[in-house]
Amino acid sequence: MTAVVGPQAGPVTMIDEELSADLAGAALALARRFHAGATLWVLSPQWEPHSHHVAVEFVHPVIVGKRALPAVALVAADLVAETRIAVRPGDVVLAVAGADQAQVLDVMRRAPAWGVETMWIGYGDRPAAGAASHVLWVPSDDPMVPATGRFVLMYHLLWELTHVCFEHPGLLTVPDDDCTDEVCITCSDEGRLGEVVAPPAEEYAGALVRTATGEEYVDVTVVGDVVPGDLVIVHAGAALTRLEDSPQVGQWGPR
Amino acid sequence: MGAEMSDQGHSTDFLYPFLEGQETDAAGLLADLATSARSKAAESARLQEESLAEWDAGIEAAGRAMAERFAAGGRMFTFGNGGSSTDAATMAALFARPAHGRPLSARCLAADQAVLTALGNDVGFDVVFARQVMAHARTGDIAVALSTSGSSEDLMVALAEARRRGLLTVGFSGYDGGRMSVSEDVDHCFTIRSLSIHRIQESQALVGYRLWSVTQHHLEALQNGAPR
Repeated sequence: MTAVVGPQAGPVTMIDEELSADLAGAALALARRFHAGATLWVLSPQWEPHSHHVAVEFVHPVIVGKRALPAVALVAADLVAETRIAVRPGDVVLAVAGADQAQVLDVMRRAPAWGVETMWIGYGDRPAAGAASHVLWVPSDDPMVPATGRFVLMYHLLWELTHVCFEHPGLLTVPDDDCTDEVCITCSDEGRLGEVVAPPAEEYAGALVRTATGEEYVDVTVVGDVVPGDLVIVHAGAALTRLEDSPQVGQWGPR
Repeated sequence: MGAEMSDQGHSTDFLYPFLEGQETDAAGLLADLATSARSKAAESARLQEESLAEWDAGIEAAGRAMAERFAAGGRMFTFGNGGSSTDAATMAALFARPAHGRPLSARCLAADQAVLTALGNDVGFDVVFARQVMAHARTGDIAVALSTSGSSEDLMVALAEARRRGLLTVGFSGYDGGRMSVSEDVDHCFTIRSLSIHRIQESQALVGYRLWSVTQHHLEALQNGAPR
């Protein structure tokens, strides 16, 4: 199949069967989000130029006549804080980063509380299952992957396939029975992830908590003292548990 | 957003049920997208192989010349527009902070928005890189310009300025090579022969990587006092 003489030695497959299917799924999801008004936010703490390349790709397409889509590179030192205030429910966060990047892991685990869909491009060890909605992983552990065009190919394809999806307007809205995402609370009475915005102003008052559906006051009697940034599971107006503050684990706790 | 969607559902849709807004089965589209991704990746790989083969001797010569300049204290400045500016930044980062090998002085001239907007606003966009070359570059340095057309005015002006100042000049181009491929201001020009900006950039990245690799190799040989 797709083979090229790699930078180290020997032929490598750039996009295999599995990765092409992952890219297809991510492109359709992204097109649907854009169709509904989303902005794409891009993080690449180790390789910032990649985040800028993705942004300019979507905002100013190289193919004349393709629509400009909102995409923004986030490059602040504190990416979690910057992403937190940038994103709105329904947006998409794309990381181009290694699986060991603490700030990216932290953004990904908070994403359900912010109501955003997540995509993660990288290479080497894969992130834990469920770490992002779409994991687009280069099957190589060569540390030179980020500089050889492999990532560029990946986000070029994501852009190209996303625009193909716009030619299929009937598929740009998600049928109700397809809705299995954790951000869709109508399908499930499971607990929802929330991020504490402000602790209770006084005893017996609720804490202000941000969830995928907006901000609400939540009873925190069960979990005790909370501080801004704490992640809690909200159910029926109350916080049932507080998640441990560990960006090294997956989205919902230990692997 | 989505304004262009509002005219779906015309009364003639029953004639072409698969064409417009009535399509509801995503499986077919997803399969087509996956096939398309693999075929574009195959084309990208083919072009990369072809480009490395075509420019093998040129990369060797440029890498050797760059190693000599780095060994003598030379610094590298990269620049480009749009996506190519980000690829220029990636290439500068590869030289400056490689995962292995010797870190070298390399910097992207598109990185500072204060400088870019000051020059663009006060003087004109054509000089955004040339004026920085004037400010920073010394004889013995290296200028690397990335473009998919090979003809961007701001890059050509900067390359001419770099030539005047005695820099080694390297260009990455696309399509038929454009002005860069025939300019006397460019010592080494690597043209990626494709009409797709995407595929050109993917090949430029790999040729740039190979150039880094060859540079490192020659630098090591120079340091060890081995015969060139």
